[in-house]
Amino acid sequence: MKKIIFYLFFVIMAATLPYYAGGYLLHVSTTILIFMSLSLSWDMMLRTGQLSFGNAGFFGLGAYASLISVSNLDIHPVLSLFFAAVFAAGVALVVGFAVLRLRKIYFAITTLALALVFEVIVMNLSDLTGGSSGRVLPQAIFGGNSVLIYWLILFITIIVILISELLNKSKTHYAINSIRNDEITARSSGINVFKYLVFVFVFTSAIQGIIGGVYTQQYAFVMPESTFSLDFLLLPIAMALVGGIYTTMGPILGAIFLGLISEYLKLIMPYGHLFIYGLIIVIVILFLPEGIYKVARKKYRNRKSQEVKLDASSEGK
Amino acid sequence: MLEVNNLNVFYDKIQVIWELAMQVNKKEAVGIFGPNGSGKSTLIKAILGLVDSVEGEVLFRGQDLTKKKTYNIMRQGISLVPQNRELFPDMTVKENLKLGSAFISEARQSTDETLDFIYHIFPVLKKREEQLAGTLSGGQQRMLTVGRGLMAKPQLLILDEPSVGLQPSLVIELFQKLKEIKEKDVSILLAEQNVRQGLKIIDRGYVLENGRIVLEESAEDLLENEHIQKSYLGI
Amino acid sequence: MKINQKKTSWLFAILFFIVIIVGIWDASALIYGLQRGSLYALIALPLAMVLGIMDILNLAHGELLTVGLYASYVLFINFSIDPLISTLPVFIFLVILGGIIYFLTIKKVLGEGHLPQLLLTFGISIMLIELIKIYWTTRPRNVYRAYASSSITIGNFRIGSYEFLYVFLAFAVFLLLKLFLKKTRLGQAVYAVGQNPRGAEIVGINVDLVYLFIFCLSSGILGLTAGVMLPRVSIFPLTGNPFSLISFALVAMAGMGSINGILLAGITLGIAEAVIQAIPGYGGWSDLVFFGVLIAVIMAKNIQEA
Ligand SMILES: Nc1ncnc2c1ncn2[C@@H]1O[C@H](COP(=O)(O)OP(=O)(O)O)[C@@H](O)[C@H]1O
Ligand SMILES: [Mg+2]
Repeated sequence: MKKIIFYLFFVIMAATLPYYAGGYLLHVSTTILIFMSLSLSWDMMLRTGQLSFGNAGFFGLGAYASLISVSNLDIHPVLSLFFAAVFAAGVALVVGFAVLRLRKIYFAITTLALALVFEVIVMNLSDLTGGSSGRVLPQAIFGGNSVLIYWLILFITIIVILISELLNKSKTHYAINSIRNDEITARSSGINVFKYLVFVFVFTSAIQGIIGGVYTQQYAFVMPESTFSLDFLLLPIAMALVGGIYTTMGPILGAIFLGLISEYLKLIMPYGHLFIYGLIIVIVILFLPEGIYKVARKKYRNRKSQEVKLDASSEGK
Repeated sequence: MLEVNNLNVFYDKIQVIWELAMQVNKKEAVGIFGPNGSGKSTLIKAILGLVDSVEGEVLFRGQDLTKKKTYNIMRQGISLVPQNRELFPDMTVKENLKLGSAFISEARQSTDETLDFIYHIFPVLKKREEQLAGTLSGGQQRMLTVGRGLMAKPQLLILDEPSVGLQPSLVIELFQKLKEIKEKDVSILLAEQNVRQGLKIIDRGYVLENGRIVLEESAEDLLENEHIQKSYLGI
Repeated sequence: MKINQKKTSWLFAILFFIVIIVGIWDASALIYGLQRGSLYALIALPLAMVLGIMDILNLAHGELLTVGLYASYVLFINFSIDPLISTLPVFIFLVILGGIIYFLTIKKVLGEGHLPQLLLTFGISIMLIELIKIYWTTRPRNVYRAYASSSITIGNFRIGSYEFLYVFLAFAVFLLLKLFLKKTRLGQAVYAVGQNPRGAEIVGINVDLVYLFIFCLSSGILGLTAGVMLPRVSIFPLTGNPFSLISFALVAMAGMGSINGILLAGITLGIAEAVIQAIPGYGGWSDLVFFGVLIAVIMAKNIQEA
């Protein structure tokens, strides 16, 4: 109960942000939410034990699907997001049937190749995609109203957070955890490993697709170089790692923390600011493999239990 | 020659060996007997630096081994015939044997002579010289492992359950070979569950149960011991 | 992981023949593919060594090549050292860089499972890309050498003659490596560690040292290749990036740990790409050939094993 009130408080704070924050903070928050969703979607796949580098690829697919459906089919931009999600999910389903039979480095590197593959395809279908120079939309979604855009993205992010929580609570959670920890045992206890992997891969890709769509509708253009940019691969991973993997809170905290740093970095380091993210990943892997959230939580718990002990001993006197 | 004092070994904070002390003297063959899971392999791994958390003292010819890396310990005159063989499956029998001496400077010069000696004890290895180790039968692989251990011309040969997984006739054959090897003035530390065979070659033995040494006797006395007769020899 | 896996997949054999036959129909593609494929093999070899012996897939592999290219570029621009001559200093530089990376990072994740290893090397690859961006921006750079633009004409086709150096170098490096593995004690140690690190330790091999050596040598080979490549490529921070993927595709094709297989796989891929490139209007798709091959090979192997 306490927890729900706590969450509600944050949702209300976030929803009312446009009323008390300035334009710049609103813009930063929008970006943070976008990366938060991407980061959560990456982490959800990781919870099955599969390290996917495919998130940037499905982000890009969603971006193109959304833009093309709006300009060629004249669909409403909001509706185009569903199209983006469905398209990304469809591709993920087909691709997933092949790559989800792979494990470990084979899975990771094949998904790493996906973004490159999608990019080459996009480049070569230039009638539809505009090739290497990309395409623009006549105008951004909601006529470029940044408050409405923020609310839309906040809405999507909240749904992603709920999905992530659900995934960490339900029966699925048990299945996914056991697949990650010991696939053979999971299999022998009757869990349909492949089905679960396809399921998670498809819906995380759908999330990435929708986010790609939103992003495109927000900026009203696509271009291979920026749409398939390393940012959308690297930042979500760094955020989840910093915050702490396999949790909902980790990617959320990581996204806020690194998102704020990112704005500052872009100002002082126009070229090569991603260097810091590479460094962060390396440092987290080597020195802080549990991420900030879990370490902080442990410290907090330790202190609490020490306090309890102190209380007990003082009572004894 | 080998002296272990006050040894405690842990796997992730779970203690497996408790306050253990033992020694092997020059030209002596010593047995460590105990049921499965009693800690025989762990003791051997602790001596050779193959486990991380080791407390206590392991002296070999006066040198403390606990601070040394495994590869360095193997260059001091100890060699190991591990329980799960650890051969190089895609190399030939001969290549496997030669690797046994290639990185031990005292043994390297006499590689060819030692090889002849090993082929003399295990003629089957000579016959299969050019065959890949991975294609040998279980028994032959065990012989190869022993052979590779001998290639290092060790002063102390440690064998971890060489009889495991072998059919009885092969076990008897193997222990006869080990007896031959013992005549060559090599000290032997033998971990075994097969006490009956083990007693044939050792001079002195320890009984290890739940990570603690519960008995230390000469081979003759062990054979007479009631506990041994009941629990290990089924008399 | 095994070094001497004999069974190269049947799929690969079929692919090889199809490619050769199609290549004969278009002879220039055959030669061009041979040149390009040798380069691929040369670059894939170090990845295969690190993967086969250390059991680590180095995602910063392509970036080490990029670093080599920029090192060679700097030596040319600032000190007018010809790229072919700079192969030696760049080789040494990359050996040292490899050693530093090994000691600071790789050593700490050995045997820790694929997840930290992949993420770590991914992070390193980003760091290298971005460092290069900071110093040299994303602007492509070229080094012009007259000797590198000579060509020969066969029938209607012009083929670069400088690129035959790739073929020569690839065969030389592969031959030397095989000799080294067979004939030297260090080579035998490498061979043994690749098959069974625990067993290697037991026979007195300093496994840590072998790992360091392999990582440094792999990095060095990339430096050597970089110097030879520089006169023929335009370099930018992401030049090397696709090579991690391509190299892995070749290793998968060759079968984990087969050294001969890599040379063959490289040439096969090179020719296949050249053939696609020769099809008018579809040349841009040649960048996908490696992926098709990768998927086909690992799917086939996967199903075989199942
Ligand atoms: N790698 C390991 N991690 C944790 N526990 C282990 C490990 N190896 C052995 N053990 C435990 O240590 C005890 C002793 O095992 P071991 O030394 O292999 O016995 P033995 O060789 O006498 O059969 C057993 O309880 C076993 O379960
Ligand atoms: Mg044992």
